[in-house]
Amino acid sequence: MSKTKILIFIAASVFIFSASVFLGPKAINPFALTGTDREIIFLIRLPRAIVAALMGIALGASGAVLQGILRNPLADPYILGISSGAALTAALGLLSGLFFFGNLSLPLTAFIGAFFASIIVGSFGWRRGGIWPDRLLLAGVGLSFLFYSVLMLLISISSDEGMRRALLWIFGDLSIADWSLIPYGFLLIIAGLYLSVSRAKALNALMLGDELAHSLGFSVNRERLLLFVSVALMTAASVSLGGTIGFIGLIIPHIVRFFIGADNRIVIPVSAICGGAFLCMADLIGKSVMAPIEIPSGIVTAIIGSPYFLYLLRRRDVLNL
Amino acid sequence: MSLTYSYSRSILEMENVRFSYLKDKKFINNLTFSIGNGEFIGLLGANGSGKSTILKLASGILKPSEGHIKLWGKPLHSFKNKDRAKLLCYLPQLLDINLPFRVAELVNMGLYPYDIPPQITVDEALEMVGLKEISESYITNLSGGERRRTFIAMTLLQGSGILLLDEPLANIDVKYQIEILKLLKELKEKKDISIIMALHDINIALHFEKVMLIKDGRILGFGNPETVLTADLIKEAFDVGIEIRKQESGRAYISYENNF
Repeated sequence: MSKTKILIFIAASVFIFSASVFLGPKAINPFALTGTDREIIFLIRLPRAIVAALMGIALGASGAVLQGILRNPLADPYILGISSGAALTAALGLLSGLFFFGNLSLPLTAFIGAFFASIIVGSFGWRRGGIWPDRLLLAGVGLSFLFYSVLMLLISISSDEGMRRALLWIFGDLSIADWSLIPYGFLLIIAGLYLSVSRAKALNALMLGDELAHSLGFSVNRERLLLFVSVALMTAASVSLGGTIGFIGLIIPHIVRFFIGADNRIVIPVSAICGGAFLCMADLIGKSVMAPIEIPSGIVTAIIGSPYFLYLLRRRDVLNL
Repeated sequence: MSLTYSYSRSILEMENVRFSYLKDKKFINNLTFSIGNGEFIGLLGANGSGKSTILKLASGILKPSEGHIKLWGKPLHSFKNKDRAKLLCYLPQLLDINLPFRVAELVNMGLYPYDIPPQITVDEALEMVGLKEISESYITNLSGGERRRTFIAMTLLQGSGILLLDEPLANIDVKYQIEILKLLKELKEKKDISIIMALHDINIALHFEKVMLIKDGRILGFGNPETVLTADLIKEAFDVGIEIRKQESGRAYISYENNF
């Protein structure tokens, strides 16, 4: 029963991924490729679709994990301040023009910010040998505000092309995607995904509460730390690939649970697949509807995502709030 | 370890255990007791008397600041988490799960400590607690009593011989209270499971074989209800004067008659 549903999710995702490669401002017939078509696909569309898929995979999976470790259905990967830390350092880089690594400069500076933000939020959430979910959540909210206000300060006192890029990037900018980013993003995201799926049983137990998780034979502090590391890895990698794209981490895990239940051994991988497909779709819409102007994917996901999320909130039985 | 060999041994022991949540303020003070195999014990005390803390210490969730806790004669904290989980199981008072887990999925989590699953299946466990018909229901749609039974079924899969239950009768109707007490009694008799459960209803405690009366983290009395639940000790434990009466059958019950 749920196997069929999972197959449907996978098939739909593959379909959306292919659509985002072949459709766009210029539709390409995959059965009659011209030389230009090949160039468009291999130089622009395919790397961009892969980056979108990787980012969505990371956001979907880390959202599912984070909602579990925080025991909070409204958690999303950005609530921890990891993304705003990344946004801050990326903007610093963009505005100062101190980019020494070519195409890799922006992802690299973003990753540095995400990395330090993870350590800061993790250490604020740390108490008596473990991460405390409520402390982690509040520390994340506090840090996000701090990082964003410094970011806004930077943007408000600068006035050039760097600012426009920084703003675009904050809302998710996939136009910088090229092949050079993919191996690095792929490795980090697959490592995080593997870590989280390998701890899925522990996450199930943690969702029942720390005491039951302990009673079921799990080391609560150790498991929560490993799961936090997996979230930090995936979020940092995703943000540094293409900016902060909202709502995927929040909504996708809820939709997946609605269809297939709460078992994280299935929820995490299926949220990953669906997150990837959703971002591919959002990117396709963003680059097509107002072509040649591109709408940043983060705005598209939020415009589709927010109303759907509000609708879910109205249907209390879905979220079980 | 064969059950016959260890039948008379104490399975859970506390020796001079001290614990405090805040520094300089002892909460559990010099607690010493020992529980034998197959016992069904009611842990009785007023709110804040330390019942939950004692269960959390016994399950290893909290660590004592002084003293020793032994499980089957071995220090509790020397067990690996998974090995301890096979011997001892704790269910908290609140089972507020707000995620769409199905009953059978939750029960199956009892197998998490095992690499090789034990003999009992999810279906058998659900049959035992009388929830087989609703094994595919979501836990969020169940009543408090059904939830409690779901988690008891989980402990059956977990296969631990010691069950520590924090207020399993709180906030559920009397019908389900009776159901759960019957189920626990059946588990004790059929599966030789030892049970320690916290409760605060004196009338229910009067029906237990053995009662431990707690106040301020100390044991006021431990033994059969007739000797422990005297009017004097109850007054001390609950800070209220009540009268213990006898029914025609000889069973004791408490009366609130002169308190209103």
